[in-house]
Amino acid sequence: MRGELHYDAVVIGAGTAGLVAGARLAEAGARVCVLAKGVGSTHLAPGTIDVLGHAPERVSSPGGALEEFAAAHPDHPYAALGAEIVNDSLQWFLERVADGPLAGYRYVGSLERNHVLPTAIGALRPSALVPETMAAGDAQSGSDRVCVVGSRSLRDFHPALCAANLSHAGIAARAVDIEIEVDRADENALGLARRFDDPDWRKGFAARLALKLQADERVGLPAVLGARDPHGVLADLERRLGRRVFEIPTLPPSVPGMRLFEILRSALRRAGGRLVLGAEVVGHDRSSSRVNAVATHAGGRDVHYAAPWFVLAAGGFASGAIELDSSWATHERVLGLPLRGVPDQTEPRFVAEYLAEQPMSRVGVAVDAELRAEGVENVLVAGAALPGAVSWREGSGEGIALASGSHAANLVLAQAGARTGAAA
Amino acid sequence: MATLTTDVLVIGGGATGAGVAWDAALRGLDVVLVDRGDLAEGTSGRFHGLLHSGGRYAVKDPRAAEECIAENRILRRVAADGIEDTGGFFVTTPWDDPAYADRFAAGCAATGVDCEEIDRAVALKEEPRLNPDVSRVFRVPDASIDVWKTVWALARGAQQRGARVLPYHAAVAIHRDGDRVTGARLRGSRSGEELDVEAGVTVNASGAWAHFIAEMAGIEGVRVLPGRGIMIAMNHRLVNTCVNRCQMPTDGDIIVPIRTVCVIGTTDVHTDDPDDHTVIQSEVDAMLDDGEKLVPGFRRARALRVWTGVRPLFEDAKADSTETRDVTRAHALLDHEQRDGVQGFVTITGGKLTTFRLMAEETVDAVCRHLGEQRACTTSTEPLPGSEEHATYHLGERLERKEQHLSDHQLICECEMVPRWKLEQTMRRRATTNLDDIRRLLRLGMGPCQGGFCIYRATGILHGLDGLTAEQADETLRRFLQERWKGVWPVLYGDQLRQARLDDWIFQGVLGVEHLPA
Repeated sequence: MRGELHYDAVVIGAGTAGLVAGARLAEAGARVCVLAKGVGSTHLAPGTIDVLGHAPERVSSPGGALEEFAAAHPDHPYAALGAEIVNDSLQWFLERVADGPLAGYRYVGSLERNHVLPTAIGALRPSALVPETMAAGDAQSGSDRVCVVGSRSLRDFHPALCAANLSHAGIAARAVDIEIEVDRADENALGLARRFDDPDWRKGFAARLALKLQADERVGLPAVLGARDPHGVLADLERRLGRRVFEIPTLPPSVPGMRLFEILRSALRRAGGRLVLGAEVVGHDRSSSRVNAVATHAGGRDVHYAAPWFVLAAGGFASGAIELDSSWATHERVLGLPLRGVPDQTEPRFVAEYLAEQPMSRVGVAVDAELRAEGVENVLVAGAALPGAVSWREGSGEGIALASGSHAANLVLAQAGARTGAAA
Repeated sequence: MATLTTDVLVIGGGATGAGVAWDAALRGLDVVLVDRGDLAEGTSGRFHGLLHSGGRYAVKDPRAAEECIAENRILRRVAADGIEDTGGFFVTTPWDDPAYADRFAAGCAATGVDCEEIDRAVALKEEPRLNPDVSRVFRVPDASIDVWKTVWALARGAQQRGARVLPYHAAVAIHRDGDRVTGARLRGSRSGEELDVEAGVTVNASGAWAHFIAEMAGIEGVRVLPGRGIMIAMNHRLVNTCVNRCQMPTDGDIIVPIRTVCVIGTTDVHTDDPDDHTVIQSEVDAMLDDGEKLVPGFRRARALRVWTGVRPLFEDAKADSTETRDVTRAHALLDHEQRDGVQGFVTITGGKLTTFRLMAEETVDAVCRHLGEQRACTTSTEPLPGSEEHATYHLGERLERKEQHLSDHQLICECEMVPRWKLEQTMRRRATTNLDDIRRLLRLGMGPCQGGFCIYRATGILHGLDGLTAEQADETLRRFLQERWKGVWPVLYGDQLRQARLDDWIFQGVLGVEHLPA
């Protein structure tokens, strides 16, 4: 059985970029459908909004550094996007968090100044907007020492190593191990977060932890402070412990990332947009310069989604949307679009030093100056599908995703508006 | 400087050297076993894991075939704990000379290699991913062997009988007193401290490096022609039986299922430097093509890792070829008293993993001659520690154990099912800060995620257990990441590249490893 559905715009990919594009289109009144094979990188990433962290030295003011960075990297998405749309998309995001499904939960920060947050191994990671649950971890904030608290029950967080590296970096820190009873030994961050959502359990935990704390210490916990009510969990713990408390992101699954996903999904739905997960795009109908429809196969059924506009936000190599095959050829697998940044067959794809920049890192869908897919007039590209960025090294992933998702929405709306105007 | 005194000093902690140590210890000799690196870090640990039935040599080298089948039968009993009884097929693919199959069957019959021709349909039922166009299939008793486990069992058995085992101790000088080798000077590669060993007999079991040690002893003319081969581990057991092409031995003609993966091998390229681990792109491409011939769809499976091993091919007088596959695969025992008039020094090189026990037996026989003693070898009947029940392992063992303790044993490496208690026990026992040493013992980080999740966990645990400083722990983690990447990037494509990108996100995006204080 085959169905065909018609939308004003179809977004492919439910990571940050796709959800932002979908939500902003829906908010402007467009009929939008977001199709995705699965959730995006939100569930893996720390849940912070990184705009520009390293260039390659640590960036203290991302807003201030953006222009120079874009000028030095003309093929980077920021060169096409510009600082204004970055700032606009961050403001939009802050508002959606405030109106979002997690009562009271908010992000703090701005383009003016990066927070400098500890990682689970005790390195320092700059980020522009961070959940309120992480703000007190800022290495630049306050003179109180850090007490990193973990549990042997959580294999994905090692407080002593974290504290040792922080101390090594000049941030007075020590570690405390606290016993947490778990149902199964391989409990992950999400399992613990559900416990923290429970007020009775939390009360017991805080009472046991309080005994181990010293004066003038703030408390760093793995990022497990509630999946449903992080604002309430944070406030409650800070009140009970009488000090600042913060989360430290650790191995996936990422609880703060899941909250971020919920916030963006909620924004899309509240505006009337539709999200279909488990809907991998397996085919498309294309005329010479336009994509007319994409096809999914789900639930034993082919469905065609036709639209005048498509936003490709399906990610890069990590999601599988871009593939390097065993004959060393690269493909964009969703719409078969040409790529940019692929090293020549005679050039190395990777280099032997792991932490060096890898030549394949900047591969993405070839786009024009407006981030429109080359050769196709109605496909806009957003997020990690864009070429020219190494977001995990630059600390730029969410900035690019928010800004390019917003940009794609704006462009669709402007063009649609122009067309409607012309028809009228 | 400290001095150790012993009957036998064994230089080289591969299967042969560890086998010599075990054999000599069983005969009641005092032994010191040393290696410049970890045990089985050289050639022994760098092969595909095949315990030969002898089929591979049945036509070309009947003597090697006879040795293999005899040793295969012995090791299945005495070293059972490291062996999985996978069985083996020799299959005639459309690319193979069909006439070879009859020669193969005749060769097996002549050399005593158990070999039974089976119906194609039976073979395909057992191995559904096997190329359906194979014309003939022979079943032989190939098996796979976990070399690290086996070598450590040899070392542990020797230790229980008083042997001293010193990994990370390189021989930097061989002591000579006139016509007699009297021992060696060692340098600890971690401590930097030097140590003298006075030995009645010194055994040069350094394999592809044998000529370096022989030269140190002032012995001329020991020539080893290193033959380098690549192997690629795939993320699944695409086959559960060792599958060989039924043809004269060549490149890329065997897939060995071992532990959770299968390994395709191998190539054979002459190299002058046994430490040369260059992976050449064209070799990888050819190997993937060869994989397709045995298992259609091979290229769509995930390649986890590529590595090279260097065979120690001893060069005899007649061969001066650089085509190393034609140089004899037989082992060479050089009694330097007979050969050079130098007492107290024996070199064992060449050979293959499957025949390590035989090589060790012959070597220790020579050692006893030097010592003027008569002591009988018992390695063909004495089980190694862990193999007392003569029970081979099977793939599901770790899962079975885990399922009994689902809720109270934390898994640190999920791919290879390494529980926390096992990791901590091994870290304590090995007293090492090198996660690669742990990897070889437990297969930590060797599965599909290539350490993406377990390396941070293991580093944290090691840090807590060993009281490492932050710098030491960071160095451990960075070194492991770098070591891992070395084998990953030359075969990185398809879904394994997705995996690698996830690992990049974890180490660089979430943990910020590159920004740790150096």
